[in-house]
Amino acid sequence: MRKRTITWAGLVIALAAIVAASAVGATGAIGHANRAQTLREAIGAEPPSLDPGLATDTTSANVLLNIMDPLVRLGKPPALKATPSAASSWTVHGKVVTLNLRHDVRWTTGAPVHASDYVWSWLRTISPQLAADYAYQFYGIKGAEAYNECNPSTTNCNALRSKVGVKALGKWKLRITLNSPEAWFPQQLAHNSFLPVNKAAVTKYGSHWTEAKNIVTDGAFKLASWKHDASLTLVKNKKWRGAKHVKLQKIVLTILTDATTALNSFQAGHQDVDSTGLNPADIKAQRKHSYFHLWKALGTYYYGINVKNITNVNQRRAMAFGIDRTQIIKYIAQLGQQPARGFTPQGIAGGPTIDKNSYFPAKAQVSKAKAFLAKVANPKTNIHLYINNSPGHINIATAVQAQWKEIGLNVNIKVMEWKQYLQFLGPPPNSDVDVYRLGWIYDYPDAQNGLVLWTCGSGNNNTNWCNHKFDSLVAKGSQTQNASKRYKIYQQAEDLISSSKGDVPLIPIYWYVYSNLIRPYVHGYTINPMDQTDYSKVSMK
Amino acid sequence: MLKFIIRRTLWTIPVILLVILMTFLMMRQIKGNPFRTTERAVPAAIQQNLNRKFNLDKPWYEQYLLYVKGVFTADLGPSLVQRNQNVNDVIKEHFPVSLKLGAFAMLFAIVVGIPLGILSALKQNTIGDYLSMGFVNIGYALPSFFISTLLLYFFAVKWRNVTGLPTNGWGGWRTWILPAIALGLAPMTVFARITRGAMLETLQQDYIRTAKAKGLRWERVVGLHVLRNSLIPTVTAAGPLLGYIITGSFIVETIFGIPGIGKYYVTSVTGRDYSVTMGITVLLSIIIIVCNLVVDILYGFLDPRTRDQRT
Amino acid sequence: MAIDERLAAERAGKQRQASFELALEATAGDGGARGAGAALQRASLWRDALQRFRANRAAVIAAIAFLVLLAFVIFVPWLSHEDPYAVDFSQAYQNPSWAHPFGTDEFGRDLFVRVALGGRVSIAIGFAATFAIMGVGITYGSISGFIGGKLDNGMMRFLDALYGLPYLPFAILTLAIFGTVNFWTMVVALTIASWFTTARVMRGQIITLKENDYVRAAHAVGARWYRVLFRHLLPNTLGVIIIFVFLELPGVVLGEAFLSFIGLGINPPKASWGTLAQDGYGAYQTHPYLIVIPSLMIAWLILSAFFVADGLRDALDPRAREF
Repeated sequence: MRKRTITWAGLVIALAAIVAASAVGATGAIGHANRAQTLREAIGAEPPSLDPGLATDTTSANVLLNIMDPLVRLGKPPALKATPSAASSWTVHGKVVTLNLRHDVRWTTGAPVHASDYVWSWLRTISPQLAADYAYQFYGIKGAEAYNECNPSTTNCNALRSKVGVKALGKWKLRITLNSPEAWFPQQLAHNSFLPVNKAAVTKYGSHWTEAKNIVTDGAFKLASWKHDASLTLVKNKKWRGAKHVKLQKIVLTILTDATTALNSFQAGHQDVDSTGLNPADIKAQRKHSYFHLWKALGTYYYGINVKNITNVNQRRAMAFGIDRTQIIKYIAQLGQQPARGFTPQGIAGGPTIDKNSYFPAKAQVSKAKAFLAKVANPKTNIHLYINNSPGHINIATAVQAQWKEIGLNVNIKVMEWKQYLQFLGPPPNSDVDVYRLGWIYDYPDAQNGLVLWTCGSGNNNTNWCNHKFDSLVAKGSQTQNASKRYKIYQQAEDLISSSKGDVPLIPIYWYVYSNLIRPYVHGYTINPMDQTDYSKVSMK
Repeated sequence: MLKFIIRRTLWTIPVILLVILMTFLMMRQIKGNPFRTTERAVPAAIQQNLNRKFNLDKPWYEQYLLYVKGVFTADLGPSLVQRNQNVNDVIKEHFPVSLKLGAFAMLFAIVVGIPLGILSALKQNTIGDYLSMGFVNIGYALPSFFISTLLLYFFAVKWRNVTGLPTNGWGGWRTWILPAIALGLAPMTVFARITRGAMLETLQQDYIRTAKAKGLRWERVVGLHVLRNSLIPTVTAAGPLLGYIITGSFIVETIFGIPGIGKYYVTSVTGRDYSVTMGITVLLSIIIIVCNLVVDILYGFLDPRTRDQRT
Repeated sequence: MAIDERLAAERAGKQRQASFELALEATAGDGGARGAGAALQRASLWRDALQRFRANRAAVIAAIAFLVLLAFVIFVPWLSHEDPYAVDFSQAYQNPSWAHPFGTDEFGRDLFVRVALGGRVSIAIGFAATFAIMGVGITYGSISGFIGGKLDNGMMRFLDALYGLPYLPFAILTLAIFGTVNFWTMVVALTIASWFTTARVMRGQIITLKENDYVRAAHAVGARWYRVLFRHLLPNTLGVIIIFVFLELPGVVLGEAFLSFIGLGINPPKASWGTLAQDGYGAYQTHPYLIVIPSLMIAWLILSAFFVADGLRDALDPRAREF
């Protein structure tokens, strides 16, 4: 019996010793341990790929844009004009865009980056063998789509490859021939899919060339280590052309998929920036702190309507007027988003002009909605609202369900798991869907990128709405170089959706914002409307 | 005996093949495009390129055979979502983490569970017994996500200045403590109960009572008998416990931000990453099958009668 | 005699079916005017079992707790005048009070009623899945054990293969195949990988009972197989079946909570304890009651079911030692 007691006591003492030891070794005081130029940031997901041709999400994009040198960078919002980066200047003559490259952009191996690197990289990205998701970004370039569609097991695609409109004129000039003039093309070059890859590394290491020990980059930071699903570490590239202006020496990106854990980590002082997003329940409390930041975004959260099921435009108008956007934003989204008047976000270049006649109200106008509904002979009162199973969307749908009940519509919320949901929406759109929820984040800062969604042939148009006038307006606008003329044309297109004479094939709810938590001693950390952060401008005080 | 072992081992092969087939067929039934990650629809040409690249355009039996060949040559294919990684890479990086977590959890379960069981058996029907068994039962009944949340909140957030424990991650020994406890709590209750039961049964044996009455050294004898009596139930419980550790790690890894295989599994199913899902399922199945094999062989040693009648 | 029975039991598998027979023998030998015949033996066995159960304090308390829980989930939504689906943001996130004993959630919905409704769903899924598991397991095990021979061998081999399937991954895959999570898909998903142990135990039971003299006697007088199976064998397994129901229930309820927590829960605005816990997880630092209460409910159910099972086991088979 005594022996047992001794053993038991020993266990207790051992446990106490462990606790005491960890108390002695306790760190975690906020901020003091960190005045070196090391930034610790929590990100919400593992980057699926750091291959510029294969990266499709913003996490990968952000890392890529900091370890590589893009041809152009985007300037100040709202214009977000293309500013020189790896390309020192360029000219646009109708369909032909010619870029002059800087001479001092080098790979980490020391070799300079030539125009031929870009040609090789882009042809690789649009090659059918690579099967890159973002190959469609290049479809504006002559011959790109044809080459991408080629089936290498049945035909020899090399002939099509040589016809693609990308040519290197010597070492420092890059000539791009488009299918038709595109005013936003220089801005599109800021996207990560247009970054070059190092031919030697790719050839040598195959699909593993993006591992930290193999990767070859040319930007302000280098990828020092990548522990999958755990963290990425970037260190300053001392040989970068602008290295003397870069203050940060090291960036540690920790992958924390759970927002609550990330918030805890931030509050415990383990992270300087928390970019994982907040749980809706925490937003209210966190907003009060000075470390809480909001950034305007180019994106729209909307409910699409299946116009084949809800055929009368007045019912659609009623539904649009029955939604209380302000209430949704205040109680559910809680990030001070802007209620969407129309589809095109206000913050985009030309936004105010484009949205001028858009008239969706911020607060619900129940009487007006009922009036619209009264004009409908046989309204569809039993509505199937499809959403995917994220808590935020469920909450908004619940609120909309209650709001539409007030104007006499019964809503059945059908929740689906994400991948299933996407496939269910189509194309072709499923006939059981009356209303569905989606969002759109812009690929490049031109309204065309959003408007083109609603053209008849777009794979993203799940509403069955097809208006040829709209199509021709969008096509015309994309070819118009003059900015103000272009915005007027876009306005006419937007009117067909969201003005008082519009068809209302979709109901925009709000325009997105990004939010994150940044400690006050971090300077220069900004997120532009395209969700990009330039770490070369960040410093720790 | 040897014949028994060989026979049982050979039987695992068709079992593994069956598991692969079932997983394969199930994955094929799940709707959803692995390549569409955002709201953007994938253009038709690009979808074709992707299908071609990952052999998804071949008929299902061809894909199955290719896959089986891959399994037996230890090549589980490329990940459909993590475009620069193979399933082998994924498993090599994340599986050891989960293994370590599982091992620490079992360690905690044994180190705390067995003494607890012994003590409550010795103090049967006293306050100590009721308290410890109460604690044990609550630990069994509370869902693991709740326990993880509690542990995280109190030890890593509220009292962090005392404990110095981190909220997440997987690195130094401090990061192992809370997750191991969270995951090991339920197995701990199982061990506590087994040990208590075995202890009680042994203590009631006549010769023990006699030895006690005579004032002899009965502790050592008790110890040996408790060990033997608890061996069979422990081995029986090992299977379900292993299953619990494997599946329980999903939640603990997500909440504590541990880059293990459990968290990866859930993401790969929701992301329709066929090859990763199948790779991990097959891996887990092989582990379970091997463990069942070991258990069966152990039973063969412990109780010769069972092996004679199982073919 | 007793030792032979025990050996027979271990030969049949890893369960204590024989001890059930032992108990039968023991009570029969209790003297008094008990005649021969299976029916009379059974009646006194149940009465004895009930007595033993009633004497077990823990089991009685657990049974009462279980019934209280059932009463809670049945009657509260019926009697309450709160609308569990009404959205009223001004009432959101209220702490527990007299008006709202469990507080309110992010939409201002009363949590007391929602927890009761969620309990209906969780318990219903629990029982449905458990009965499904029993159904499949009993059928499979009975067929295998009763027919025996090569079929039995084959079926057990197949079962071995199925044992290799990790439970939760397959539940997740099943739900992914169905695409949507509702009551029935959840039941199927939870059943699909959990029925193996029941099948094996049933088979063991049937095999042991098959050897008994009264079964042989029944065969000898020409009784058909279904009469033997349904009249003699299955009723004697009833005790084990009942115990198994209360043993499987916690596992199923935990499984459902687990799946809900990782996002594969029942569709809103319907709720189960698992989805309520998942909803509440995001707010545990500011409004902990949102996750604490559903979790405690789950624990309550599991603990009471477990102790009832324990008590039943002791009542029906006092000499058994399970883990």
